[in-house]
Amino acid sequence: MLEKLLAEIRSGGTFETGVLAARLGTTPALVEAMLDHLQRAGQLRPYEACGDACGGCSLKQACKSAQPANGVRLWQG
Amino acid sequence: MAECHDLSGRAVALAVETGAPLIALAGQPNMGKSTLFNLLTGLNQHVGNWPGKTVERREGHFDLNGRRLRLVDLPGTYSLTANSPEEVIAREFVVREKPDAVVAVVSAANLERSLYLVAELAALDAPLVVALNMMDVAAQEGLQVEAHVLEAALGVPVVPMVASRAQGVRALLDVIEAVLTGQRRPQPRPPEVRADHAAILAQIEALIAGRVPAPYPQAWVALKLLEGDAEVTRRMQESLPAETWQAVHAVLRAHDDAFLAVASGRYEWIGRLVRAAVTRPRVGQIGLTERLDRWAAHPFWGLVLLAGILGLVFGLTFTVGAPLQTWLEEAVIAPLAGLASEALSGAPFWVQGLVVDGLIGGVGSVLTFLPILVIFFAAFALLEDVGYMARAAYVMDNLMHLMGLHGKSFLPLFLGFGCNVPAVMGARVIDSWPARLLTILIAPLVPCTARMAVVAFLAPAFFGAQAIWVTWGLVLLSLTMLVVSGVVFNRLLFKGQRSAFIMEMPLYHLPNLRTIGLLVWQRSLSFVQKAGTAILGMALVVWLLSYLPGGDLNSSYLARFGQFLEPVGRWMGFDWRLTVALLTSFPAKENAIATLGVLFGVSPEGGLTSLLTASYPTATALSFLVTTMLFIPCMATVAVTRQETGSWRWALFSVLFYLVLSVAAGTATYHLAAWIGG
Repeated sequence: MLEKLLAEIRSGGTFETGVLAARLGTTPALVEAMLDHLQRAGQLRPYEACGDACGGCSLKQACKSAQPANGVRLWQG
Repeated sequence: MAECHDLSGRAVALAVETGAPLIALAGQPNMGKSTLFNLLTGLNQHVGNWPGKTVERREGHFDLNGRRLRLVDLPGTYSLTANSPEEVIAREFVVREKPDAVVAVVSAANLERSLYLVAELAALDAPLVVALNMMDVAAQEGLQVEAHVLEAALGVPVVPMVASRAQGVRALLDVIEAVLTGQRRPQPRPPEVRADHAAILAQIEALIAGRVPAPYPQAWVALKLLEGDAEVTRRMQESLPAETWQAVHAVLRAHDDAFLAVASGRYEWIGRLVRAAVTRPRVGQIGLTERLDRWAAHPFWGLVLLAGILGLVFGLTFTVGAPLQTWLEEAVIAPLAGLASEALSGAPFWVQGLVVDGLIGGVGSVLTFLPILVIFFAAFALLEDVGYMARAAYVMDNLMHLMGLHGKSFLPLFLGFGCNVPAVMGARVIDSWPARLLTILIAPLVPCTARMAVVAFLAPAFFGAQAIWVTWGLVLLSLTMLVVSGVVFNRLLFKGQRSAFIMEMPLYHLPNLRTIGLLVWQRSLSFVQKAGTAILGMALVVWLLSYLPGGDLNSSYLARFGQFLEPVGRWMGFDWRLTVALLTSFPAKENAIATLGVLFGVSPEGGLTSLLTASYPTATALSFLVTTMLFIPCMATVAVTRQETGSWRWALFSVLFYLVLSVAAGTATYHLAAWIGG
């Protein structure tokens, strides 16, 4: 299952955990657990949300909650 | 005293009291392990470090049926593979100290994540008990977790509990007591290695048979070697004769992907357990989310829905906001200008001009579109809060991939809808320099709030009821230019780089009015603050240039500057005032309105919108909107472009690119509209 997940990710593209889970015949929660596992094993590299990207912007307070960081994760195999 | 080994192989001591039965608490972080430890030991605990480590060690004792038990809180770990010092400490403790019982604390609300550690503990033959914590959270999420099914499948006692409310603790203690007295004998059923790797595992086990240092179980060591566990590999290399190690090493090298097969087998085992023991809600929230996502996240219909929702937002904004804006202009700003003129009738002419034209005409005009922005902000805050924006991002990214754009570009570009500055800075998430550069270059084509505010003000002024379609078309134009520019730059700058973009869609839920209100308040406040600082400053400069040297607008420095550039402006159908308004949008996009406010002034007879409507034909109005939409990004965006690219070359390239693009698009629009309009 992990190999299939890794192969999907390495093929590149946009994925939604629910769709990935359906393709692998499992639950989104298990897909998320496997993503974290692959990250800990050094197989995937996550990108933190923009970090200090808003540092110099005068609107950063207003934009803060608009960042999709909670719902979006980027990975590279 | 006992010994264990850290990652570097140094022998360190474990200071564990001897005598009383020893219980170990194991679990992943945030599973409620510490809550249970505190509940059981109360004040009878002490905190230190694991010998030779900076990892916190907590141990204590409690009495059970007249007997004292020692309790050790193992570090929170996800697995027992030597990925971190915590994992080495936890497994060394279980292997070497041989606790009388190991209590694995798992979350009933997230068994998929927490059972991995149980899979590893089960392979160690430890007297395992599972504390199925957070049953309340699972129930809140609609999950029905059947502990007896899990118990039958795992072969070890499973005790449902809510540690935070001390529920189920008595039952857990009874099970521990039964395990300690031998009344219950856990018979763990760990996951088996997948069939395609079983023979390899057997081969390794045969090679190391009889040569595994005590107290490590032979089968476990073979499995860890197959997994590529660095610590076990190093230890076995030291322990085995050279020729045996070479044979083991040859097998491992031939199957260097085995670690995936081992972990994969564990996840398949977890998947089976969860399928058997957990019933998920099929109706209600999740069912609704799935039904809605069939449309909202569909590659084609999702885009259609997004376009429709954007149209609705613009429609709502103009239907409700534009009349309010007009009312503010006519009922507040114009009378205020009249009052100020009367009050300052005795003051020098330049003071009257500064206050009426500079301050009220400039900043006042900008402030009138606050109602439009409030509705715009509220609509997007609502979409965000109910969980739709994640779907919008998902379908947009699908489209971008279709066009050959880099997936990781999407997140920063998405931020551009708020402000282009974080969009350019957000490109830092992209490793590849050409891809980052591409994202930085095309980010200003995402229509930011300020640009949308200018369009939201001017579109109803020029086009009345058709403003919705004009605005919708302008956004579409901008995004189309983004995709086209992206495809062109993508082909030129980088090829074939693949990355994944994974989204965890939140469930749709009812909006929280407080969250939306707060967001609208923060954004509106930021806008008003900007109007009172940067826009005010620019409005005053524009007024001063329009006043000097002789107090006559048509012979002012600003007019001379505008007339100097007018030949270029004429390509797009602009007079010198529109040309100047466009140029002053460079420091901040809203300045275009402030400048028009200063140049046209306000009077009791009419506001800026009516003056603009009367002054320009449709072709010029459309051309001005298109040019504004695609014009050079604001000064702050150019500055961060320089900062993020590390050179003025790319910042100037960006300025030049947008100048050419906007002038070309504006010119084409003007001539096409004039030709169509006859």
